Amino acid sequence: MSNEKYRSHLERVLREGHFAVTCEIGPPKSADGDVVRQKARLIRGFVDAANITDCQTAIVRMSSIASGVLVMQEGVEPVIQMTCRDRNRIAIQADLLGAAALGIKNLLCLTGDHQKFGNHPEAKGVFDLDSIQLLDMVRRMRDEKKFQCGEEIKGKTVEFFLGAAANPFADPFEFRVHRLAKKVAAGAQFIQTQIVYNLERFRKFMEMARDLGLTEKVYILAGITPPKSFGMARYMKYFVPGLDVPDEILKRLKDAKDKREEGIQIAVEIIEQVREIPGIAGVHIMAIEWEEAVPEIVKRAGLHPRPLAEEVKVEVPRPAPEIVPEKPEVEEEVPEAPPKVEVPAEALKEIFGSLRSSMEALRDGINLLHEGLASLERALLGGPAERPAPPEIRPEERPEVKPEAPVVSKEEEERAQKVADLLSAAKAAREAGELAKAEALYRQVLELEAENEIAKSALAEIEKERLVEELLKEAEKKLKEEDLDGAEAAYQKVLEIYPQKTEAVKGLEKVKELKAARVEKKPEEKPPVEERPAVEAKAPEVADILVFAELSKEYRPVSERAAGIPEDVYKEPGTAYIREVTIGEGEKAITIGGTNVLPFHLFEGEMKNPPHVAMEVLDVKPEDWPEALAKYFADVFDDPGAWAKKCVEVYGAEAINVYLVGTDPNFLDLGPEHAAKVVEKVAQAVDVPLVIWGSGSAEKDVDVLREVANVLGAKNVMIGPVVDTNHRALGATAMGYGYSLIASSPIDVNLAKQLNILLENVGVPLDKIAMDPSVGALGYGLEYTYSVMERIRLAALYAQDEKLQVPFVINVGREVWKTKEAGLPSDDMLGDQEVRGIALEAITALALLLAGGDFLIMRHPKAIEVTKRVIDGLMAQ
Amino acid sequence: MIIAERKPIKRILQMIEPFERIAVIGCRGCVAICSAGGDREVEILAAALRLARKRQGRPLKTVEDTFVRQCDPEYLTPLGELKEKVEAVVSLACGVGVNLAADLYPDLKIYPGVDTSFYGANPALGEWEEKCRGCGDCIIDFTGGLCPIARCAKNLLNGPCGGSQNGKCEIRPEVPCVWHQIYERLKARGELEKLTQIFPAKNWIPAGHGGPRERKRPDLQMNSQK
Amino acid sequence: MSELKLAILCCHYTNEATAQDVADIPAEVVIKRFPCSGRIEVVDILRALEEDAGAVLVAGCEKGSCHNNTGSLRAEKRVEAARKILEEIGLSPERVQMAFIPRLDTGALVEAAKRTFETLLEISAKGETSS
Repeated sequence: MSNEKYRSHLERVLREGHFAVTCEIGPPKSADGDVVRQKARLIRGFVDAANITDCQTAIVRMSSIASGVLVMQEGVEPVIQMTCRDRNRIAIQADLLGAAALGIKNLLCLTGDHQKFGNHPEAKGVFDLDSIQLLDMVRRMRDEKKFQCGEEIKGKTVEFFLGAAANPFADPFEFRVHRLAKKVAAGAQFIQTQIVYNLERFRKFMEMARDLGLTEKVYILAGITPPKSFGMARYMKYFVPGLDVPDEILKRLKDAKDKREEGIQIAVEIIEQVREIPGIAGVHIMAIEWEEAVPEIVKRAGLHPRPLAEEVKVEVPRPAPEIVPEKPEVEEEVPEAPPKVEVPAEALKEIFGSLRSSMEALRDGINLLHEGLASLERALLGGPAERPAPPEIRPEERPEVKPEAPVVSKEEEERAQKVADLLSAAKAAREAGELAKAEALYRQVLELEAENEIAKSALAEIEKERLVEELLKEAEKKLKEEDLDGAEAAYQKVLEIYPQKTEAVKGLEKVKELKAARVEKKPEEKPPVEERPAVEAKAPEVADILVFAELSKEYRPVSERAAGIPEDVYKEPGTAYIREVTIGEGEKAITIGGTNVLPFHLFEGEMKNPPHVAMEVLDVKPEDWPEALAKYFADVFDDPGAWAKKCVEVYGAEAINVYLVGTDPNFLDLGPEHAAKVVEKVAQAVDVPLVIWGSGSAEKDVDVLREVANVLGAKNVMIGPVVDTNHRALGATAMGYGYSLIASSPIDVNLAKQLNILLENVGVPLDKIAMDPSVGALGYGLEYTYSVMERIRLAALYAQDEKLQVPFVINVGREVWKTKEAGLPSDDMLGDQEVRGIALEAITALALLLAGGDFLIMRHPKAIEVTKRVIDGLMAQ
Repeated sequence: MIIAERKPIKRILQMIEPFERIAVIGCRGCVAICSAGGDREVEILAAALRLARKRQGRPLKTVEDTFVRQCDPEYLTPLGELKEKVEAVVSLACGVGVNLAADLYPDLKIYPGVDTSFYGANPALGEWEEKCRGCGDCIIDFTGGLCPIARCAKNLLNGPCGGSQNGKCEIRPEVPCVWHQIYERLKARGELEKLTQIFPAKNWIPAGHGGPRERKRPDLQMNSQK
Repeated sequence: MSELKLAILCCHYTNEATAQDVADIPAEVVIKRFPCSGRIEVVDILRALEEDAGAVLVAGCEKGSCHNNTGSLRAEKRVEAARKILEEIGLSPERVQMAFIPRLDTGALVEAAKRTFETLLEISAKGETSS
């Protein structure tokens, strides 16, 4: 320190009246000192000092003192943090003497997060002292040269500028300033507060602090955190105790196109506002795992350059010169490397990344199945399996590798290799006539190399061919439906692209004939159909989403692959069966459940019934369906009967779920009669099994479903959702009419079981119950759902938990199509809206099938097609 | 009172694995009141052990008894005779009882049938809550009668910490923040000044960190040989 | 423990079933009466098993119709406790069954006893022996 009046640079900045800026550096969970150095270089020159956390949230990390020394070597003044959680008074004093000897000047005294929140929750928490006692102890070590026990410290003692934390947002609010006063009385000279989002409450806190005269005695630095994403902000609001994020901030982040940019903007605005509050001496920026945002925030808040910055000197008692040489180049980088704020939807990218890897895994699995089936055939039929393994599943076959790869980095090399692989696979697919697949592959190429000419031109060509193919198919379908205008429009579109296309020419002739033959007109059938073909023509091929084609039915039995291993080692069939629940009547009836193994483990048990998929019909016109989904049903939105009919006749739905969302008291609050009318229409229009799903309002659903039962009578349908508060009423209705029930519980094994027991207690037999465990879409808690379903299924099959031996009914569509990602428009980054939506729905469905889903409710026809294909493939082992 | 909970039966079966005749001995003190080691629990445990052993084809004979207390030597005297009749004893007393019996009867094999959990109250049937940690230096006169050592996850003396939210502790949402309760209580009494003083660092010797604790009352020591 | 012995623990109000009523169950059936099903303790259930019963049926009055208001509810809790203990020592908890029987409805009791016996057969079929 150049100026002996002050214990640290931070103290000097504050005392000389500058608005201070500190930030936080989180040490790594390893012994890699470069991580710390790197972070220090990032923020050097932008802050007056940097806090080094002490095993924050009780997760083991490099020690604060050691990291502090590394930070000093990079020319940044550290603020060491010391918690009471891990050390008793002896260890704390010893470490502080050491820290002082190493040249550390600032100390922040904390009680510390409870060990329960960290990665060693079973550790013994020390808490010999609390933060106030710690402050008191260090102050006396410094000012009175005494250890905590009172013994004199002979020779040099610690010379820390002492800080403490304050949380204005914890409870009881009025006491918070008094506790702050205790900290000041115990020795705190500066305070860094919990993250401020709720300015109103913070202003009130500061006012109370001023009233107590605290701002005269202590420098208060307001805690600032740029929210990195909507998810992070929401997490902080709901899961971090003492963190108060107002809804307005959540909304801003939710609506922002560029979350990071918005996050930085929010931080800058908060800094500007806290600066206005009398008694605020600076800000403490905690950019959690986002240190690179700090310079940008500091600059934008007009806090750069830092005062007295040139005064900061590396003051390490034992300098380590050899570590410094890296510095120069990095120095140049820092100012020009603001955070990459232009990335618009980082989260989505991640989702798609994981989607892709999920499909990769699926592909691997299917390869296994192929091999398995092939050898089974060999074994049973004595000859080689007829069906060749589909080549597209083996991306290893590589074509001429791009020549210009020698001096590139490893990453680039890998990318080039991947591009080459993709191109050759795409070419093969195209030659095999699998346009959609080829297209998907070319698209992947473009993702890796946006300017790849081969891929670009091939895509353009494919686009045309595929469109034509799609149009022709559409036209044929229209013809079958006797929608002549629709067919005609489709054929004409084809001719616009390829004027000579024979199928189209012939098709048009046929249309003309049929039109002529049709003398009596039914005008009311027509109007909405006119424009549909054009839109539907764009519906992507299923193979667009699934990188593999038709699933082969080959299967090589596990017993063969596990040759030499006794069967009982790898086979573990369940000790019980999931009960079978049948809904619907006659030939169209479907049965769900009836398995004694984990999903698709057909090598060790049986699934008497494949999983089934129902399509969803709403009782009112949906307002929030993205275009990619709505376009398929726009013509029938006004008539639930026609809607259901379309689902069954056009899209082959094997069951219909009528979602009575319009009766929701918080939505349209339509009466039970409305619901009854809708259900009646649907029941008259189709003969497939029906599920009647209420709005989810426990009270209202009782009235609604009773009324529905009145008009429906004793039909073999499934109704729900039943929850604990209405299980008696709905249980009685169901028994009266012989309905099955959907027992809906909030993602919890025990609650699911309890509800089944309750239902049984009122007399509903278990084979009339299906469980809705409450599901989340991909990226929206899918993993929770998966895990709970898995646990339920394991308990049912392997732990004789008979109350859980009922099938799952899973509403995939509703969850997926309300996600933000499903509704975002098409763009280069996220790709086509519809492909994305289908992928989201299909992948969610697949994941939940693998978790044990027996009966899925879905929305998008293509997503259903994908899902069914996979079911067929997996069931064909 | 002292709250205890029966150990898993499998664990007890392991302890008595080598024996064919054992005694299951309860205590009518705390553990009877918290339904862990009274007459009823002795019966149940003995029956369960016999049933399990019968199934293993190694029948077990049990003697069942429940003493008035196991933390006083005079009530333990029947153990002297018992040790001739059985090979081992499973005691359903708290750890104090098992220790004292082990002190007094060195050649008796005595095993714990319960886990001694904490000092707690019984606010409702079937529920027990920790209220005291026996730290030997009671300060709840300053805290409205509520103990921060037992009831604060960090044993804070200058709380509440930043994890206090809506009157709850961050540790688990159902756990009240005792410092919040202390604050509310003292505020209602107009005694908030008690909280503005800084509680100094605690002496943990009375809490047991200075070795086993003992207490002597010379005026009561009638035949003090020690 | 005989796999073909069934113990029924019940109160006087639940039924007046006699040995004849349960004669067509192909097992030895012991009926033990208590003043109220609420008086049936966990240890009574365990002792019945110890005394060679393969399964125990605890029968109480239908909920709400117990003479002592909550007797059969208490019995239900004890059944749960006994089942937990069985699980701990590796026996099927289903060996202990609870039935709520309309007052003096011997038919319902016999039905429950038959179901319990079937459960016992299932348990035996799985190869679990209790002795």
